Amino acid sequence: MKFDEKDFDTMLESAMSELPPDDIVEEVTPWRKSMRRVIIGLGLTSLTLNFWCLNYILPVIGMVFLFLGYRTLRRANGWFMGCYVLTLLRLVTWFPSLIWDATIYNRILTESSSSVFLIAISLILRFIGHICLWQGIKAVQRKAGLEEHAGGAVGLIVWFLVLTVLAMIGYSGIIIGLGVIVAYICILRSLWTLARDMDEAGYMIDASPVHLPDWCVTLIIGGILAIGLTLAYTFGGSYDMDWQPMEVSGDEEAAEVRAHLAELGFPEEILRDMTDADVLECKGAIRVVTEVRNHALNDGRRVQEKKKNADGYYSFHTYTVYDVKELQITGVAVELPTEREHWKIIHHFRWTSHPGYFGTECIQLWPAYHLSKGWGQASDFTGQVLYDKDGVTYTSPYISLGEETFTSTSMFWGQSTSTDVFAEFSMPDDGEAQRGYVSYTIKEMQDGWLVDAWINYTHGLSWRQYPFRTAKQQRMMTSQNRVGAFMTVQDALQFNAAEEKTQVIGGSEE
Amino acid sequence: MREEEILALLRARDEAGMEEMLKHYGPLMRYIIAPILRDAHDREDCLSEAAVRVWENFDTYDDTRGSLAAWITAVTRNTALNMIRRNNRQQTEEIAAETPSPAPTPEEIILQKERTRVLSQAVDTLRPRDRNLFYRKYYYLQSTARIAAELGMTERAVEGRLYRIKKKLRSLMGGDGNEV
Repeated sequence: MKFDEKDFDTMLESAMSELPPDDIVEEVTPWRKSMRRVIIGLGLTSLTLNFWCLNYILPVIGMVFLFLGYRTLRRANGWFMGCYVLTLLRLVTWFPSLIWDATIYNRILTESSSSVFLIAISLILRFIGHICLWQGIKAVQRKAGLEEHAGGAVGLIVWFLVLTVLAMIGYSGIIIGLGVIVAYICILRSLWTLARDMDEAGYMIDASPVHLPDWCVTLIIGGILAIGLTLAYTFGGSYDMDWQPMEVSGDEEAAEVRAHLAELGFPEEILRDMTDADVLECKGAIRVVTEVRNHALNDGRRVQEKKKNADGYYSFHTYTVYDVKELQITGVAVELPTEREHWKIIHHFRWTSHPGYFGTECIQLWPAYHLSKGWGQASDFTGQVLYDKDGVTYTSPYISLGEETFTSTSMFWGQSTSTDVFAEFSMPDDGEAQRGYVSYTIKEMQDGWLVDAWINYTHGLSWRQYPFRTAKQQRMMTSQNRVGAFMTVQDALQFNAAEEKTQVIGGSEE
Repeated sequence: MREEEILALLRARDEAGMEEMLKHYGPLMRYIIAPILRDAHDREDCLSEAAVRVWENFDTYDDTRGSLAAWITAVTRNTALNMIRRNNRQQTEEIAAETPSPAPTPEEIILQKERTRVLSQAVDTLRPRDRNLFYRKYYYLQSTARIAAELGMTERAVEGRLYRIKKKLRSLMGGDGNEV
């Protein structure tokens, strides 16, 4: 028997007269799939798991589920249309901020009052969305002539209000927190059961036609996020420095001072990096103290040694060897010709090899006058950053350089407020000999105090962090030296200024 | 009211069971009738007729063959299809009186059963998503637009998938395509 296309269709229709399989009867409904998506979406967007970036990944997936679910239901009634519009609004307002958070500029939002406004808008949209869901379910039940009941949706509204109040008062207790989680799981379970019980009412729904299939919408949302994040990490992961070719100094007086300082032992390569203004401050210098150390900003390699002890037994010693120490920090102190003792402190750093990634960098200073009463501040902080490319030296001022007050949290000491000096900057990836310095002058307040000046250099090891933090934000948050995508090295210039022949404490490496 | 309770009432021939059945499965029955019958009056008539058939033929319901929802789905679908045939016959009554009886011959009945068996086997080999799509189109007789809306697809995508499903079924049922 031969069939053309139409005959084959007729044959298929006529041959299907038996009972349909139960799984098909359950699945063929305009309601179940979309409502399940809504409930999964609610689950993923409401609870946050603060590890492995799940507090961002799961809500993103949840928003897509919510959007696709409400997209199908939007013609069922006005309330579901409301849910759809609100979800679309949340997508449009939230997703750009997700991309923005992958740039260093996110602090513009987080540190401003507009962040409170955006959070408030998001909460209001979610609250109205929950009310629309509740009313939408009731409208479907009404249309099907069923008794109106949507306890799970009411529970969701109450739960959301309680959670908002707890967040506003800053509650962080465990007992109520656990209660909130348990209540939420119960509410979702109740909604799931309600959706199943409403299968019969769900047949009354007219699913909305779509111009783009679900997979296409998912792909577009995922694509926009992926492209946005790639652009954000590529172009928004470092400061926009004002690099200019270094001008050759024509100042004869500065040249004389440079020559004098070099005679006193001031490293010449550092003198070349300093501005004429900083060099001229050292006019008539009496003494120069220098200390050089090299620091590794890599994990090194673990080495195990087997040694035979005197008693004939073997013992194993494991230690880390750093083949490369990328960062050289030089501390220089110059005694100035003043009546009461003055010292110009210069902290100079230089990348001797490329660390693999340059994002944001930060210098935190603990000036000598912060650590001892014997010294006082005699000048502002100055400095610049430099690098070489194709035989040309480029310079730029720091993005910011000065004292800042901040609050940090320590595992042992809790929250504490401090004021330190910070310098923020970025280095170009394609240059070489990236370097810079920070300087300031101290004056003697009391006799007999050591000069104890510290520099903490924080380097961003990788772009793989979300939301994006700058090295300064990271340093202000924690005093730990190796956290996440950042590593801090500490260095200090310490010497007894009262000694005639000054020697640094601990000595130089080189 | 739960399905078991409705079943108990229907088995006891309690008319309250009929009311509950309509309340519980009425939306499902309307959903099945809607794509088959276009006229609103026909749909209402069909719903009433299907409800009567459920009541009258409830003794034939065998819960080992499928759920009550599946049985009601089949009864409602067949009632709607019969109504279409009846309507068509009424429109062509004069011609029909002179033409041979449309009732199938014994050979046709055997052939029909064999076709159904082979088709069922072939449909069971489809992926769940394709099987769902196939039943929507050829059992529930839903329009491509409706299938597309409920599955979050475009009509073109539904047509494309149905084409591939049919091609596969042709191959499974008749080897190279056109013969069964």
